Order: sequence, then C-alpha cells, then structure tokens
Amino acid sequence: MVRAALATKRKIGQGPKTLAVFLPAVTVVAASLLAALPIVAEAGWYPDFGFLVLISWRLLRADPWPGWWAGPMGLANDLLTGGPIGLSVALWSATMLALDLVDRRTMWRDYWIEWGLAAVLIAIDEWLQWRVAALGGARVPIQAIVPPLILSICVFPLSAWLVSRIDRWRLGR
Amino acid sequence: MATARPGWSRRAQYSLFFSFLALIAGILVGLFLLALSLLAPARFESVRGAALDITGPISSALHEVTETAKGLVTGAGNYWDAANQNGGLRRERDAMRRQIIQAKAIAQENRQLKATLQLREAQHDAVAIGRLVGSSFSSPRRFAILSVGSSDGVRIGMPVRSPDGLVGRIVDGGALASRVLLVSDRANIVPARLLRGGIPVISQGRGDGTIDVRPLEVGRNPFKRGDIIITSGTGGLYPPLVPIARIVKLDDDGAVAIPLADPANTSFAIVEPPYEPAAIAADGP
Repeated sequence: MVRAALATKRKIGQGPKTLAVFLPAVTVVAASLLAALPIVAEAGWYPDFGFLVLISWRLLRADPWPGWWAGPMGLANDLLTGGPIGLSVALWSATMLALDLVDRRTMWRDYWIEWGLAAVLIAIDEWLQWRVAALGGARVPIQAIVPPLILSICVFPLSAWLVSRIDRWRLGR
Repeated sequence: MATARPGWSRRAQYSLFFSFLALIAGILVGLFLLALSLLAPARFESVRGAALDITGPISSALHEVTETAKGLVTGAGNYWDAANQNGGLRRERDAMRRQIIQAKAIAQENRQLKATLQLREAQHDAVAIGRLVGSSFSSPRRFAILSVGSSDGVRIGMPVRSPDGLVGRIVDGGALASRVLLVSDRANIVPARLLRGGIPVISQGRGDGTIDVRPLEVGRNPFKRGDIIITSGTGGLYPPLVPIARIVKLDDDGAVAIPLADPANTSFAIVEPPYEPAAIAADGP
C-alpha cells in the first residue's frame, strides 16, 4: 500500500487489536442492544440502531465480516429489539447481497452516493417493518413511518463517522 | 468479495460463489422464520422469553440508575419554593379529605345496594407488581418491557394496569422480565365504554402514543373533549371499570384519546389475572 508507506511511522506496539476481526460484528450487536436502554418511548421514532451500524460498516468496507454473518446478527437484532423473528435475518442478508451487487456496478463512490444508498436502504427497512407490522395485525397509516425515516437518514452520517473511528482504532491506524 | 472479478484463481471464484449462496440461504432462512413468527407466534415463545431475560435485567438496572439521578434532580427542585408548595398541598389535602368522606359514604351505600341485589363480584388480587423499564424504539409496534416475569407468576395474556389506568397486556414472558403490548399499539383493541353515559366504544391504538376511539353503533359522534374512556370488561380479558384514556380531539366518526397511564411516567405497573381466565385461551396471541 502506497498510502501506508507515505504515512508517518507507526509507534511500536500499534497494530490491529486482538480479535479485530470480530469487532465490527460486536459493534452491530452492541447497537442492537441499545434497545435495552431504559427509555419508554411513546412513538417509535428512534432509528434502527443495529441496521444503521450494519450498513455503516458495509458501506465503509467490503469485508467487515463474512457475508453470511448478517443472518445471525439479524437474529440477534430481532431477539434483542423484540421485533418479529426472521425479519432482520432476511433483510440484513438481502442488504449484504444488494450491496455486493452494487459494488460490482458502481465506478466510484463518494459521501453523497453513500448517504443516498444508505437512505434507500433505510427506507426499505422502515417500509418492510411497517409492512410486517401490518401483516401482524397493526396496520398504522403509512405516513407514520416518515418521521423515523427522516431521523434515521439524518443520523446515518453520525453512525458512519463513529464506525470509521472504530475501524481506525481496531486496525491500529 | 472485495473485488468485482476475482480473476483466474479458481479458489477465489468459488469463495465468491459460495458467499453469494450463503447470503441467499440466509435470506431464505429469514423469510421462513418470519413466516413462522407471523403464522405461529407461539412457536417462538421460549426463545423470545430467553432473549427478554438477557435485555430485561439490563434495562432494569439502568432504569434504577436513571431514576436515582432523576430523583436527585427533582429532590433538589422540591426545596425550591417549598413554602408555596406546602400551602398548596395543604389545601389539596383538605379538599381530598372531604372527597374521601363522600366516597366512603357512596361505597357503603353501594355495598348495601349490591347486598340487596345479591350481586357477587370476583375479587382479583395483583399477580405481580413491576416497573416499566424500556420500550420498543424503532418500529410501528408499541411494546414496553416490564421488570417482572414468569418467576413472579406472570403469564402471557394477563392484563397490566397502573394506578392511573390501563397499560396493556403481556405478550412475551421471560423468567425475569416480560413484554407488554401497550394500549397505544395498533393491534391492541380494547372493548370500552364512555364513563359519561356508558355508551359502548372500541379503543384501538394508533401506534404513536395515542388511541383511536370509535362508537360501536354508527351514528352521531357521542364524544366530547375531556371525556374519559373506561374498560367495559366485555371479552373477559381486561377487568371492567379501569380508566383507559382521555379524549383530546374529535374526528369524523370517532375521537383521538391519550392514555391516562402514560407508560413513560408510570412508576408501578400491576399485573392482574385475566378477568375471566377462559378469555386467554380463546383470545390467543
């Protein structure tokens, strides 16, 4: 890597952390675990933290984890947030697959494209949650998903920034 | 999968191919689980209960911390303006005492009337008393996490209330915590009636912390702002005469109401046995 060669010399003892391979997945599960925060919310306007961190990692790097890990992570998210079991398993696996296909097509990437992609993915996520809730007997008007959608899209850059910091820390850069 | 074309390496080609296969398998498994959880929710009861036992105690512990912090702040605030508060409270207490005497007289009269009518009334004791320590964050559904579980005798389907009003009913039960379907959830339909006049109505959550109220009989809109909705006991799941909500806005054929038991400020939630135990079996999840 040319860029790494140009960078300032690393200090001794700096390098990838132990278990750096597992760290991205751990952060995703930790984000899902935010649902255990003692906040009783009147309306479900909070972003889907697990999904946000998942796409932040995947948009930052192509290989944060082997693709199939998305399934078990989705199951953990379903169980921790109390959502319908299986929704995140399918959705997160499909997201990994979709982003793999997008990677084969896109010529270049910048912040705006990433944010746009994230917005589309978040919209699909919110819509599917709404759809599954309707199937489960809770048909709320579709307008109800607009505020959480906008909030999630606005929070994405923050989560992407946090994830990039964690990535640099875990690799000892 | 880092590169679009893995090159001539057979190994790289295979690994790319198999990773795609694994993802597709993941999607299929997820869809299968989803179908199962929509069609046969009872199948996942134990798994969901076990997951609740992981998150529930965390929420409870964090809840204690935030409550303590909140208590310190409000405690300090109470010393401010203490004399005024004192006077206000004293006036309130005197008014309250007069009302209590009246209420006692009414209760006595009520008992005598019931005795003459030979009405018998099932008395229900609380199964368990817990705290609402968390809620669903990011979904159209409205669930809350209650800090008592099956080890305290809580079972799926039991109604939950607070001193202020109806909170909801238990839908998932772990050993240490349980999940409550709030009255503001779209799927929670409560048979109710107007306190003023006793007109039968149906209360259904709107998913955003408020409740839709509709009269059972189509016709004139019977609601007024400030009306109180109470449970009717129809269906046998919820006990009768528990206040549910206060009407804040009228619309075409009904009204929008706000739950009296605000789950965010409810300190204690009381789990009661179902009003008629047969209702749980009939109601299902």
